[in-house]
Amino acid sequence: MPRAKRDLTMEQQLSRGPMDLPFLMLVLILVGIGTVMVFSASFATAYYVEEDPLYYARRHLLFVAAGLVIMYLLSKFNYQLWRGLSLPILGVAFVLLVLVLTPLGYGGDSVGAQRWMNMFLVAGPGFQPSEIAKIAVILFFSARLAKRDTQKKRKWSRRSTLGRILQKLDDIGFLELVPYASILLVMAFLMLQEPHLSGTILIMVGGAAVLFAAGIRLYWVAIGGGLAAAGMWFIITQTTYMTERIQLWLDPWSDAQDKGYQTIQSIYAIASGGLTGLGLGQSRQKYLYLPEPENDFIFSIVVEELGFIGAMIVIALFALLIIRGYWLAIHARDRFGSLLIVGITTLLAVQVFLNIGVVTNFIPNTGISLPFFSYGGTALWIHMAEMGIILAVSRQIPAPKQE
Amino acid sequence: MREQENNRQPAGQERGGERRANRVILKRSIFLMGLCGVVMFLPLIWTLWQICIVDHDYYEELAVRQQTRDVTVSAMRGDILDSNGTVLAMSATVYNLILSPRDVVNSVDESDYQNEEGVTDQTAYQAAITAKKAAIVDGLCATLPQLDRADVEERMERDSAYQILIRDLETEDATAVREYISENKLSSCVYLTPSAKRYYPYSSLASQVIGFVNDNGGAYGVEALYDDQLSGTVGRVVTAKANNGTEMPNNYSNYVDASDGNDITLTIDVNIQQFAEQAVQQGIEAYNALGGGICVVMDPDTGAILAHVSVPTYDLNDPGTVIDKSLSATLDSIRNDPASTDEVYTEALTSARFQQWRSKVVNDTYEPGSTFKAVVLAAALEEGVVSESDTFYCPGYTVVNGERIACSKASGHGSQTLREAVQNSCNPAFIEIGQRLGAEKFYEYFEAFGMTSATGVDLQGEEVGQYWTEDYFTSAEGYLSLATASFGQRFTTTPIRMITAFAATINGGYLYQPYVVDHINDPEGNIISQTEPTVVRQTVSEATSAHASEILESVVSEGTGGNAYVEGYRVGGKTGTSQTLVGEHDYIVSFMGYAPADDPEVIVLLALYYPEWDYGMYSTSGTYISGGQMAAPLVGQVIEETLEYMGVEREYTEEEANGADVAVPNVTGLSQADAASRLENEGLSYRTVGDGETVTGQIPAQGATIPSGSQVVLYLGEEVPTEPVTVPDVTGMTLERARTALAEVGLYMKASGVSTYYTSSTLAIEQSVEAGGTAAPGTVIEVRFANNNIYD
Repeated sequence: MPRAKRDLTMEQQLSRGPMDLPFLMLVLILVGIGTVMVFSASFATAYYVEEDPLYYARRHLLFVAAGLVIMYLLSKFNYQLWRGLSLPILGVAFVLLVLVLTPLGYGGDSVGAQRWMNMFLVAGPGFQPSEIAKIAVILFFSARLAKRDTQKKRKWSRRSTLGRILQKLDDIGFLELVPYASILLVMAFLMLQEPHLSGTILIMVGGAAVLFAAGIRLYWVAIGGGLAAAGMWFIITQTTYMTERIQLWLDPWSDAQDKGYQTIQSIYAIASGGLTGLGLGQSRQKYLYLPEPENDFIFSIVVEELGFIGAMIVIALFALLIIRGYWLAIHARDRFGSLLIVGITTLLAVQVFLNIGVVTNFIPNTGISLPFFSYGGTALWIHMAEMGIILAVSRQIPAPKQE
Repeated sequence: MREQENNRQPAGQERGGERRANRVILKRSIFLMGLCGVVMFLPLIWTLWQICIVDHDYYEELAVRQQTRDVTVSAMRGDILDSNGTVLAMSATVYNLILSPRDVVNSVDESDYQNEEGVTDQTAYQAAITAKKAAIVDGLCATLPQLDRADVEERMERDSAYQILIRDLETEDATAVREYISENKLSSCVYLTPSAKRYYPYSSLASQVIGFVNDNGGAYGVEALYDDQLSGTVGRVVTAKANNGTEMPNNYSNYVDASDGNDITLTIDVNIQQFAEQAVQQGIEAYNALGGGICVVMDPDTGAILAHVSVPTYDLNDPGTVIDKSLSATLDSIRNDPASTDEVYTEALTSARFQQWRSKVVNDTYEPGSTFKAVVLAAALEEGVVSESDTFYCPGYTVVNGERIACSKASGHGSQTLREAVQNSCNPAFIEIGQRLGAEKFYEYFEAFGMTSATGVDLQGEEVGQYWTEDYFTSAEGYLSLATASFGQRFTTTPIRMITAFAATINGGYLYQPYVVDHINDPEGNIISQTEPTVVRQTVSEATSAHASEILESVVSEGTGGNAYVEGYRVGGKTGTSQTLVGEHDYIVSFMGYAPADDPEVIVLLALYYPEWDYGMYSTSGTYISGGQMAAPLVGQVIEETLEYMGVEREYTEEEANGADVAVPNVTGLSQADAASRLENEGLSYRTVGDGETVTGQIPAQGATIPSGSQVVLYLGEEVPTEPVTVPDVTGMTLERARTALAEVGLYMKASGVSTYYTSSTLAIEQSVEAGGTAAPGTVIEVRFANNNIYD
């Protein structure tokens, strides 16, 4: 030991604690399975389109390697420092969300939407600013809401009418929600300019999860949920773009050759799997039938090759990861850590839910990737980074007292 | 320790608030844990279960349908061969040209028409597809001029992966198309699938036996009856293909081998079949037989059908076309009749097709007429109710149950022996013979000879015909039936049954089950089944049969069957002339002949249907309408050709060996033509020496007696040689060789000998002028023959 422990600050000491092994193992297993599946699912597309069967697999391995490094580094990073960094990160997120609407952004795979940017503005790997926004919201909300109960209550002048109204609003917990709601609404507004509905939903979910866990009053949760539902209802029924999607959701065969094609092909893949699957590497739907087999629809290939049983194992692994995440949240050293984990875990859970929901046509088609499985470099890095943050929190969980 | 928040906090109330806040986080985290970790996945699991397990089969089928290319591989249909192995029906590989318009569209790479942002230039993309389609249509039509361009263009626009552009391409065309496909790299969207086409090298030969095929397999004849054997098992090639039409690498392909059909060898012999067909055609043309004709040649010792002719016939390669003269004349008259409608014509065409496809031999019945007398004769001999010493008196008619039944000879045959009665085909005599048998015994034999049941021949749709019940036949009212049955009238049977029954009378009494399929073998040549001759029953004893055969032989040598006489072969037989219900003057004339009489090798039934009637019993050709006049010579011809083909040695009677002696007429001084006709009148043939116009000399000279049929040498300007010739040694030679050897040096032969018949084992033992001696040209040398078996 070159240096004695007492030479370190307490936080430094704490951040050197052990990572939560079960959580780490689950992440590694999922990333491992995901990598194998990316190779299998991308094989045909890579062979026919890129004329190199290993085109995607090779790149994906690089992304995974870099992702593991990112996760490890962030797990060593004292997460308390995020409190202070959260505001600047939120600012950066806003700037990026605006920039992506400028000619710097581009559409990527989704035609007609502008969701992507290059990492170094004009060059580098592409990424979606919405991914940054998601983590930024969770970091900022967690940092702020962790202090919620310790902040000094502001007293409003009872003499003026305005003061009384404000006092009333404060009492019912409305005022404290205003900044959060504003952030979410502005973000939602920007994202819907791209447009990027699924990303918007995920940001809302991340923010809402932190707010909920932080203890805002339940009727605000109900009202928020109601408003979100009403908004969704409005978007679905009142915009032609979405009604068309709903129509396709209810009956993909109404446009089997075009807009319903991907969903139908996904169902074919899943159904072909049956109970035990066609065997690893034996998917037929990946032979140019199912679009994006290595990306958003990789889960369909997982089911086709590994069957219902394989799908259940993957889902179980995700469920265990999520449950372990909440367990870590409950045991976190402080509220900031708890909220951080709750936000990230909920975001992950919802993303898994939406992805599997889409490929099984349980919910309408919207472009959401499957964490750890989908090929798609920067998104993987963000997920690995988030896992790194959770692991960082887990390091500071005090060991149970010995009897 | 929750230090961070505690830093600036005093103790007390704040601590309580903090605990409350932590409790809230705890509770809500647990809530979220349950919601996001468990509950949220339940509907997903349920949905997956639905798709994966519940609807698995439904969706998988749809998936497999789009992922696979399922191509059937036709099994090669087995051949049908004649008894010599000559191919009568065979299949050749042909190809169907398949287009997959969907893969044509897929073969145009959409990404080539996308800008950097992935937006497709639809105009350019669609134009490229259209251009590619047009190029393929042009290319295919240029390669195969027989393609219907409009049809190809129309199919190209369909959203389909399987369009058959043209069927049955021969190898040459297929090769051209294959080259075009590989040159233009179109294998993903245009390809050839092998298929089989049926060929019948002998067109109409034995058409009703062989039959033909349609899209469902065998439609008629052996092709239909033995379809299971011939067709084999269709194979399938299921290959998985990627969505761009190319084959999936290392993935899911399934090949079910096609197994070729078995070959069937018939008992039909192409050569005998041709003799028979030729004879029937000759008869139809000579006597203008409006209803066509039939001829069956059978091996009486096995029941094997060697030839089966039924006219009208058709070309197996084009079964829909009516080629029979009589049938097409009828069709033409309907078509040209302004009063008839299209429906009437279509109906007539359909009926004409059925007529040419069916076999009169098996599917149609007739009244056998006098040919049936052979059966009655055999039965009577077997029962001992007649003997050669019996006499029968024929006044030209007889009366049964008050009905007057006329004989063919109105003036009557007078008193005749049994043999004569058969030779004369005398109806009153046979009525008496039938009556001697009695109805019960008669019916017993009627059944025994198979007149009440099908023969069981392996051809389709064997008809049975109409006959009396035993109760009626043996009753008092049936007495007239007994009379008519005795000469083969008032009941119907099929020609196949008649020939089978007749064969039983002359082959030792055995009623065989006739058959056309000799054996079936698999494509490797292993015999799968071999038809063994089946004796249905013994009808009469061998002795009776031999006796009947001997009497029937005299029908040809001395009676109504004389026209069937073939020199050197002992032919037996029976004539038949049957009335029909078609018209008053529509007769079926037939002759049943067999040879050699002592050990029959073949039995032939030939019948002509409805020779065109003129007056009385005469046809428009001037020939008397009877089996003896019309059918017998044709049967004789078939028997002669068949036995010769089969290599059966002729056996000459003494009379046949020498012919009648003829005195040579004087033809010197006549023109060559006149001399020729004089000699022909005398039954002599001739050859000429020299090239003058007038006969200046002859050998032998006028008045010399030589055997009829001998050759006279006419000298046209050349000097008649007078130098004696050296007599060759002919001892040890057969009749034919000895005659030839002597003729070569200008000598004639008169045979004499100890045996009645001169067969191949009858050799010369002595000659009237010794070998090496001399004789004047034209001298008749007597040669004595003896059966060489003696010396063996």
